[in-house]
Amino acid sequence: MTTTRFAGITLQPSHTIGRAEFSGPGFRNPVAMVRGEEDTMYVVSRSYDYRPDGKRITICTLDEDYIGEFARGVTTAGEGDPSDADGSLIWPTAIALDSEGNVYVADEWLNRISVYSGDGAYLSKWGTPGSGDGEISSPSGLAIDQDDHLLLVDCDNHRIQKFTRDGQYISQFGSKGDGDGQFNMPWGITIDRSGDIYIADWRNDRIQKFDRNGNFLMKFGTSGSADGQLDRPTGVAVDRDGNIYVTDWGNDRLQVFSADGEYLTQTTGDGSLSKWGKEKLDANSEMWQERDIAQGLEREKLFWGPIAVTVDDDDNVFVVESARSRIQIYRRQVPVFFGGRL
Amino acid sequence: MANNDIALMAHLMRRAGFGASYEELEQRAAAGYEATVDELLHPESQPSLEMDVLERRFVDWREMNALEVNQAFWTYAMINTQRPLEEKIALFWHGIFCTGNSKCEHGRQIKLQIDMFRERGLGSFRDLLMGLSSDPSMIFYLDNCMSHKDAINENWGRELLELFSMGVGMDGDANYSEDDVKECARAFTGWTITNAIPRYPYGRYEAGFIYNPADHDEEDKTFLGETGNFNGDDIIDIIARQPSTARFISRHMYNFFVADDVQVPAWQNTPPRDLEAIQMLEDEYFRSGYNIGSMLRVLFNSDAFKNARFAKVKSPAEAVIGTMRVVKDYTTPKPGLHNLASNIRYMGQDLMNPPTVEGWHTGGEWIDSGTLVERINFAADQVGNLELPGVQDMVARLGSGGAATAEETVDRCLELLGAYELADETRDQLIEHVSRGGDLVPGTPDFSQRVGQTLQLIVSTQEYQFA
Repeated sequence: MTTTRFAGITLQPSHTIGRAEFSGPGFRNPVAMVRGEEDTMYVVSRSYDYRPDGKRITICTLDEDYIGEFARGVTTAGEGDPSDADGSLIWPTAIALDSEGNVYVADEWLNRISVYSGDGAYLSKWGTPGSGDGEISSPSGLAIDQDDHLLLVDCDNHRIQKFTRDGQYISQFGSKGDGDGQFNMPWGITIDRSGDIYIADWRNDRIQKFDRNGNFLMKFGTSGSADGQLDRPTGVAVDRDGNIYVTDWGNDRLQVFSADGEYLTQTTGDGSLSKWGKEKLDANSEMWQERDIAQGLEREKLFWGPIAVTVDDDDNVFVVESARSRIQIYRRQVPVFFGGRL
Repeated sequence: MANNDIALMAHLMRRAGFGASYEELEQRAAAGYEATVDELLHPESQPSLEMDVLERRFVDWREMNALEVNQAFWTYAMINTQRPLEEKIALFWHGIFCTGNSKCEHGRQIKLQIDMFRERGLGSFRDLLMGLSSDPSMIFYLDNCMSHKDAINENWGRELLELFSMGVGMDGDANYSEDDVKECARAFTGWTITNAIPRYPYGRYEAGFIYNPADHDEEDKTFLGETGNFNGDDIIDIIARQPSTARFISRHMYNFFVADDVQVPAWQNTPPRDLEAIQMLEDEYFRSGYNIGSMLRVLFNSDAFKNARFAKVKSPAEAVIGTMRVVKDYTTPKPGLHNLASNIRYMGQDLMNPPTVEGWHTGGEWIDSGTLVERINFAADQVGNLELPGVQDMVARLGSGGAATAEETVDRCLELLGAYELADETRDQLIEHVSRGGDLVPGTPDFSQRVGQTLQLIVSTQEYQFA
């Protein structure tokens, strides 16, 4: 018996979760998410500059059951405002979980990593602004490796730094530029099963891959909107077979590449009404009628500001849309065929 | 560099833009007045804002649905644009072609209208009116989507004539009749918008313009003495060639860019403040084929403009942005922008949300005891903040000249803020106040603070409220 594994990949729309809210069930300009234990997930809402109350971490399930939220936002605007109070958020960008389920959230205004327990209790913080070893400037991506070390995308220093969980500096790689191993305002990060590191090299319109020691392995993507081209890639994720998912922010699409960086497929979105969304419409029933006569409702399917992507061990692909306050979930259909010739 | 060159450049930049730092004034004065006018009239020659970086840091700007988010964006754009006249002309048209969020409740939809002003605002007035007539937020704001061939709604037809193109009258005569209003409205039947997608659960989507021929009145209309089966674009053609349109637009241009005129409702019976300048603009309107940029070129290079320094009360947007461009805060993304933008509203100009379709009354009507206090407090807070780079620049420039008397310090501060001029009595009072601390000596502990205080005194004067 032979097993044929096709190079192709199929993304089956599963469902959409979220709705635009400043609190409670829903998100507001979400920028990042991470899968938690069992069917839970943590979603980071950035909210509007003038609505810091909408900045928060929401805990919910894949089936859109609301569990809770923590880490409310603050603003620097008012005098005497405790803008750097422990656990608060101003410009949150990224989230990661360690092996014990603790939650790490990066804030690119405060240049700070806040640490919470899995149920949202504030634990600690670290981060020193600057450009020296271990200092950070606009952290934009977080990932935790097999050693429980924290890899941090140090955006405005155009490099990746590695820390212990309590913020002790270990190492770094990268510098500003467009050569191999160089970055221009990098954003998303992920680590695959073998420990290799992928970086969304945002303003270079490409993805770069490194080994666990930061040695350059490969790159793909050029500027543009054709298949395989990128316009400010924000997030990157890798599935268990090594396929690479990229939120192509400027092109409002998700692209999928093979482990070698060959373009495979793309989608511009298949959004549907979420459970929370239906509840909102039920509470405002005239809007069901408005939807019946609305023109251009098909736009609701499309991605608007795809800003982060995550793939879990069950082949769920999560695309976070900042401008639509929701997450579109796809199922990767693994094309495995058993048998000989047809 | 002759100080008069700086003063003239400061005047041009206040009017054609939102003011400029002294460094920029020096650079532009060196480049020359006419060359600067030419550059301003070609905004495409200068880089646009880096929207990718801005949308990365202001994540809500990708969607930009809320009014407040749009106000923050526009404030940032006015502070940081390298195309000042592009923003200024958008503000000019926004003040005339008012559309308000209080009715539309969709900031992004209005922003698309403002973007249209940015794109077409210096081009043909006819093209601009076409853009306006097919702009979804305007169609909704003035109910043209409720105007049907069997039951017209006159709102759009009336305001198009009264407030957006011809004006009620000129030289004591009416410019159009009630019948013209009705015929105009008939011609625009069928110009409508798509049905909206409700805001829940994911947020609004913009509406689109559609022309519905089934709802268009195909009968003959008689408009301003011409008869035919007119559609909306025919009406705009007729409007664009009216002398009253040339007058109305010229007068608005003069009021906005040159000197405060009486309020618009009085224009029918009140002659222009400077008829010669208005006629110059009217001539250029027709000569250039209704080209707004050509009219502005003639205007900016005219003596009528150059001699009109401080003949206008700053609008709230000009008051806030002008100060910000000098103190150089918010030159990169940072939190709190909405609070900064709110100052424009506190001073009486809720951008993208004017009080009525008539827009804001301008000139002296911007000022009351409340808004004046807002203006003074805002400007004084900014120029007195010694941590701001633009304030530090001014302190450093003053310091580079060595010890200075109170008189020299006051005059130099006036110069650095943008070649402001004070009445003799005001100037004497400021000098007297500053002189109580003796000469200002760079390097002494209170030097920076005293410069900051001098700047604060100046921006608290009546004269600083004029552009």
